[in-house]
Amino acid sequence: MERILQRDATALETLYDRYGRPVYSLVLRIAQQPASAEEIVQDVFLQLWRSAGRFQISRGPLEPWLFTMARHRALDFLRLKREKQRRREDSDSDILPSAVVRSDPEGDIDRSRRAEKIRALLTSLPDSQRLAIELAFFEGLTHSEIAASTGEALGTVKSWIRGGLLRLRESLEVAGS
Amino acid sequence: MNCEQLAALYEEYALGVLEGEERAELEAHLARTGDKCVTGVAQARWVVSQLAHASPDAQPSAALRGKIMDAAKPSAGSTRTVVPIEKPKRSAQGAIFPAWAWVAAAALALVTGYTIRQMNNQNDQLAQLRKQMKIAMTQNQMLQNQLDMNRMVAMVMMSPDSMPLKLMPTKDKNMPMVHAYLHPHMGVAITADQMPSMPSARTLQLWFVPKTGKPMSVAIFHPDAAGQIALVAPVNMPRTEIAALAVTDEPAGGSPQPTTPIAWMAQVN
Repeated sequence: MERILQRDATALETLYDRYGRPVYSLVLRIAQQPASAEEIVQDVFLQLWRSAGRFQISRGPLEPWLFTMARHRALDFLRLKREKQRRREDSDSDILPSAVVRSDPEGDIDRSRRAEKIRALLTSLPDSQRLAIELAFFEGLTHSEIAASTGEALGTVKSWIRGGLLRLRESLEVAGS
Repeated sequence: MNCEQLAALYEEYALGVLEGEERAELEAHLARTGDKCVTGVAQARWVVSQLAHASPDAQPSAALRGKIMDAAKPSAGSTRTVVPIEKPKRSAQGAIFPAWAWVAAAALALVTGYTIRQMNNQNDQLAQLRKQMKIAMTQNQMLQNQLDMNRMVAMVMMSPDSMPLKLMPTKDKNMPMVHAYLHPHMGVAITADQMPSMPSARTLQLWFVPKTGKPMSVAIFHPDAAGQIALVAPVNMPRTEIAALAVTDEPAGGSPQPTTPIAWMAQVN
């Protein structure tokens, strides 16, 4: 981040090589459109470049900051799309590209292990609990919106999400310890 | 709520599912308190952000990297104190935005807040209505099942092929009579009124008593809240082999063979 603050473009390249792929995967999961997902990812990294001064190391590591910003941007896009009811099939030019970004073997392995852990955790949850968490994270729904969407009681939804997040935290604490 | 109570909500806050009073209270608390809670929220953001790894792995195009670097290049190489978001110059009047713009922004914020609150209330009401609808549908289904059973009972009772039987109380003569209608194909219909209530640990059990051999269980049943019985059970024995119909008082779930003396009985001629 120091190098980013000093306007070192190679630092931005390094960050993109490390985080570009997981950030893109997240945004694509939410936005569902590759071309739009790339636009959002571009915005996120340029936002990082332009506003690096606002990023405070004391408030946590960079990865959650990037993921959080990317998720919010993608959810904003999703909400706008829903509001306008303009969801449409990807056009021919919106095909998933096959090019590979520069690799970061150690980071890839670490993230891959964590991704496996997160997926395993979600898979181990009952379907309804997993769905509630996915609706919250990937669709941006609130407690009451999830309750309305699934037809479950608000208290039940809160309990599912709280329990799921607790397990997620415990799982990551175990992994980190 | 204090710090510890609110700490349980950090992950939900980071996930964005909190709303209404819980969210407002947590945000007010974060604004009031110091680093401890802010750090807790930052940790929660990290935990929640890890859900991003649950996304299916996907690769952006190689061109994206180039686009980002091209867009970043014009501001590359300058000093760290330069923030590329341009700071607008102050106008001759000395203000970046005129006062009316601030008033409009404040009004817009108020309207937005009110609208969000209204939407949250409507969502709560919608969830409540869904719950009530679910209960009503369950009750409707139960009534429909009861109606279907009553229709079946009526069909058996009115069929000319049915043999009417009166099961008389054998122990307490003040007990009501139980009516049975034995149809060779449609089954045996049982009806009764003013039956005494029974503990949930007990049930009534209907038996076919054959001319030779042991009694055969036909059905278990319970009087409803109004003391009524109306049911149809399949006939699993030729009518000519049935010597009698009997009812006994058994433990809930029924018994393979009668464990108490016969409480109601009718001979089949």
